Amino acid sequence: MSLSTTKTAAPPKSAPHEHDSSKAARSNLGLVRPDHTTGWKDWLTTVDHKKIGAMYAIFSLAFLIVGGVEALAIRAQLAFAENNLVSAETYNQLFTMHGTTMVFLAVMPLSSAFFNFLVPLQIGARDVAFPRLNAFSLWTFVAGAIVINLSWIFQAANAFGWFTPIDGRTDIVPSAGWFGYAPLTGDQYSGIGTDFWIFGLQVLGIASVAASLNFIVTIINFRAPGLKMMRLPVFIWMTLITSFLIIFAFPPITVALGELMFDRVFGANFFRVDQGGQPILWQHLFWVFGHPEVYILILPAMGIVSEILPVFSRKPLFGYSLIVFSGAVIGFLGFAVWSHHMFTTGLGKVATAAFSLLTMAIAVPTGVKIFNWIGTLWGGRIKFSVPMVFSLGFIWMFMMGGFSGIMHSAAPADAQQQDSYFVVAHFHYVLIGGSILSLLAGIYFWLPKMVGKMWYGKLGYWVSATVVVGLNVTFFPMHFLGMIGMPRRTHTYLEGTGWQPMNLVCTVGAFILAVGIFLFLWDLIRTIRKGPPAGDDPWDGRTLEWTIPSPPPSYNFARTPIVHSRDPLWAHKHGKASLRIGSVEPDPHGIHMPSQSWFPLLASAGFFVLGLSMALKQAGVPFCGYIAIAGLGITVLGIYLWALEGPGGFHVHPEETNS
Amino acid sequence: MSHSADPSMDREFLLAEQKKYFTFMNLAFLMTALTGIELVIIFLPFPGSILIFGSLVFLSLIKFIGVIFWFMHLIYDGKLLTLIFLFGMVLASGTSTALLFIFNSDRVDQTLPFYEEGIIAHEAGPGGH
Amino acid sequence: MSHAHDTTAPLEHVPTGLDNKKLMMWLFLASDCMFFGTLITTHLVYRKIYENVGVDPIHIFDIELTTASSFILLMSSLFMALAVSAIHKGSIKSFRWNLVGVIIFGSLFLAGQVYEFNHFVTHAGLTISSGTFGSTFYVMTGTHGVHVALGLLWLVSWLCYSFSPRFNAHQHAIDIETAGLYWHFVDIVWIVIFTAVYLIEYV
Repeated sequence: MSLSTTKTAAPPKSAPHEHDSSKAARSNLGLVRPDHTTGWKDWLTTVDHKKIGAMYAIFSLAFLIVGGVEALAIRAQLAFAENNLVSAETYNQLFTMHGTTMVFLAVMPLSSAFFNFLVPLQIGARDVAFPRLNAFSLWTFVAGAIVINLSWIFQAANAFGWFTPIDGRTDIVPSAGWFGYAPLTGDQYSGIGTDFWIFGLQVLGIASVAASLNFIVTIINFRAPGLKMMRLPVFIWMTLITSFLIIFAFPPITVALGELMFDRVFGANFFRVDQGGQPILWQHLFWVFGHPEVYILILPAMGIVSEILPVFSRKPLFGYSLIVFSGAVIGFLGFAVWSHHMFTTGLGKVATAAFSLLTMAIAVPTGVKIFNWIGTLWGGRIKFSVPMVFSLGFIWMFMMGGFSGIMHSAAPADAQQQDSYFVVAHFHYVLIGGSILSLLAGIYFWLPKMVGKMWYGKLGYWVSATVVVGLNVTFFPMHFLGMIGMPRRTHTYLEGTGWQPMNLVCTVGAFILAVGIFLFLWDLIRTIRKGPPAGDDPWDGRTLEWTIPSPPPSYNFARTPIVHSRDPLWAHKHGKASLRIGSVEPDPHGIHMPSQSWFPLLASAGFFVLGLSMALKQAGVPFCGYIAIAGLGITVLGIYLWALEGPGGFHVHPEETNS
Repeated sequence: MSHSADPSMDREFLLAEQKKYFTFMNLAFLMTALTGIELVIIFLPFPGSILIFGSLVFLSLIKFIGVIFWFMHLIYDGKLLTLIFLFGMVLASGTSTALLFIFNSDRVDQTLPFYEEGIIAHEAGPGGH
Repeated sequence: MSHAHDTTAPLEHVPTGLDNKKLMMWLFLASDCMFFGTLITTHLVYRKIYENVGVDPIHIFDIELTTASSFILLMSSLFMALAVSAIHKGSIKSFRWNLVGVIIFGSLFLAGQVYEFNHFVTHAGLTISSGTFGSTFYVMTGTHGVHVALGLLWLVSWLCYSFSPRFNAHQHAIDIETAGLYWHFVDIVWIVIFTAVYLIEYV
C-alpha cells in the first residue's frame, strides 16, 4: 500500500459494515438506511444517477410548461395594439419569470438530466463519482426553483388581500428582467420580487456548481479501461466543457447577487448611485457570468446532435478532434466576450473593438462545428428517424440564430439592434432552434434507453414539423419588428406604429409552437405508457449505453467494459475482431452499490427554508430572520449527518441473479 | 484503528516526509521574512514608486507560489491539478485586469453630492497612524 | 468525513491516478479563484475610480496589526502542512497537536479580524454603508473571514472525529489533505488581499 501523498491508499476490499443481504442496513449513526425501499421513499432518497436524471427531466419539463404559459401570456398581450390583457406590472413579471424559468429551470436542468443519465452510461461507469452529492444537487435545484416560483403564490395571496409586504409594494414576483440590471433591482425601485429572485438564483447556483464538480471528476476518473480522452463520445466532451464553464461562470454571479443582497438587506452601496455605486458594474459582473451561460445552454445541445448525426448517417462523426477542440475554444472564448452585451454603454474605443473582434472570432469554431456536421451527413446512408429530423432542424435553425449573432458582433450594427425585437429573434432562434430542438432530439433518441419503451406511430414527425413551423412563424417576423423599431420588454404599442400585423403573426406562431410542445408531451406520455419494448439497441447505436438492457439495471454494467476504439459498439458490431468491447473480470464480491440517504434531501431542504425566509424577511414577515438561521442550521445538520452516516453500500451479483 | 505508526511503513517514505518537514519549515521562515520585508518596503522614502509597487506584487507572488506548490503539494502531485488551478487563476486575473482597464474615473459623475462632500486631500506618502 | 469508499468504481480503474476528493477540491478552489477574484476586483475598481473620494484607508488601516494577522495565518498554514504530513505518516498524536496549532492560529486570525472590524466601526466610523469603500471592504474581507470560520468548523470537526474509534489514519488521510487544501487556499487569498487591498494603499 503506497503512502505517498500523491496516491491514494486503496480502500479495503470490503469494509466491515458492508453486507450483501437485501435487508436494510444501519448507518454509522445507527439509523436504518433507506436502501431497498420502494415508491416515493425510494425516489426521495435515491442516489442512482438514472433516477436523478429522470427527476431532473420531469422537473425541467414541468418548468418548460410554466415558462411556456408565461410566454403565451406575453404573446397574447402583444397580439393587438394598445391591448390591456395584463397590466404593465404583470407584463414585467411575466417576461422576467419567462426568461429566468426557461434559462435556469428548463434548459439547464434538462441538459443536466442528460448529463446525469448519460455520463456514467457512456463512459462505462457504475455511477457518478459522488452519488449523494448528485442527489443533493437535484434537490437543491428543486429548492431554488420552488423559491423563485413561490413568488407567484404570494402574489396571488396579495391579490386576495392575505399578504402585504411591509413597505406596501406589491411587486412580489421578480420584475426587473432576467438579467436584473441595477439600479432597477435596488431597494428604491423594486419590492421583494427581487429578493425572491436573488435567493432563488443563489440556491440554484449552489446546485449547478455542485453538480458540475461531480461530473468533471466522474468524466476524468471514472472512464472504463481503454476509454481514453480522445475516445470519449462528443456528448461527454461537451458535458465536461459545460461543467468547467459552470464552475468558472457561476462565482461572478454569486458575488454579484451577494453584493446586491448586501445592498438590499444590509444597506451597502455597491449599486446605490447616490452613494457612488456603479450600476454598470452589475452589468459587467452579470455578463461575465451571462455570456458563458449562453454556452452552458448550447454546448450540451451540440453534444447531443454530435451523437445523433453519426448514428443516423451510419458513418463516424466527421472531424471528431476538430469538433472537440472547437468546443473547448468556444468555452474558453466565451469568457472573453461578455462586453458585447454592453456595446451601447460606452465602454471606450479599445474595449469595444477588442470585444467586437473576439466575438467575431467565436463564430469560427462554431462554423467549424457546423461544417463538420455537414461533413458527417455527406455521403452517409441517412435514415430520417425522428431524432435525426430534429437534429437536422437544429443545424438549420441554430445557424439562422448564429447569423444574426454575427451581425451583433459588429458594434455599430449592434447599436441599432440593442434592446430591439431583433435581439429577441436572435436568441430565441439560438435557444429554441438550438437548445430546445436538440434536447427534444435527445429525448426522442434516448427515451427508449431510459424507459425501455419504443416510440410508435408518426406523431414524432408531426411534433418536429409543428415545433419548427411554430418557431419560425413566431420569431422570423421579430427580426423585422426589431428593424422597424419595436423595443423589447414593451408592454404595448400604439396603433399607428405598423407593428400590429406582424405581432399578430408572432402570437399565432407562439400558439403553434405550444401545440407542438403539447403534441410532444402527449407522444411522450403515450410512449411511456403503451410503447412496444425497445430492446437494447433500437437505433443501431455506436456508444456504450446501447450495450446494456433498456431500461438499464440499477448497477448499469454487469461487467465493466474494456474499450478499444471511438464508437466502441459500432466497432464491436461492424469492425475488426480486435476492436470488440472486452470486459473486466467481475469482482467476486459483486458490484458495489452506494447506500441511499435522506441527508442530501435534508441539506437541500435547509436551503429552501433559508431562501424563502430571507425573501419573506424582506417583506417584513416576523421571525423570518431566525427561521433563515434555522434553515442554515438544517443544511449544516444535514451535511454533518451525511458525513457521519458513512457511505455504506451493499453488493449485487447480477450474473448469479441472471443465470 | 492503530494509533501508532503502521509497521509496514517503508523507510523511504519516512525519509521523504522528513525532508518535507524541513522544506515546510524553511518555506514558512522565508514567507515570514517576506511578509516583514513587505511591511518595511511601504515605509521606504520614495512614495508612489513603481519599484515599490512591483516589488510588492513580486513578493506576494512568491508567497502565493510557495503555498500552492509546497504546502498544497502541487509540486508532488499530478500535473492535471496544477493545470486546473492555474486555469482558474488565469481566468480570474484576466477578467480582473480587463475590468480594471475598462473602469476609469471619467465614469464618475462629479456632480453627485457624495462626491463633493466626500473629497479628501490626497496625501503623498504613508499617512500617520 | 466519509471515507475513501464513498466512490463507487473500483479504484484500480482510475485512469489518472488522482484521488476523486482531491481532484474535486482543486476544481472547487479553481472556481473559488473566480469568486474571490470578482470580490477583490469590485474593491479595486471602486478604489481606482474613487481614488481621492471618500475615506482615506491609510488613516483607518492599522498595517502592523494586519501584518501580524498575515503572519498568524501563515503559521496556521505551516501547521496544516505538518498535520497533513503527520496523518500520512500514520501518527495520529502528532496530527492532533498540529491540528490544534492550526485551530489556535486560525482562531487568532478571526479574533484579529473581529477586533479590526470593531475598531473600524467604533473609532473610524467606517460602516458597510460608508460609501463604496465600506461596502467593498467589509463584504470582501468578511467573506474571507467566513471562509476561515468554515475551515475552522471543518478542522474542529476532524479534531473531534479523530477521537472516534472509526477514525483511521490511512483511510482518512485523504480527507484531511482535502480539508488542508481548503485551508491553504484561504491563506493564499489572504496573501492576495494583504497586498492588493492593504499594502497597495501605502504606495
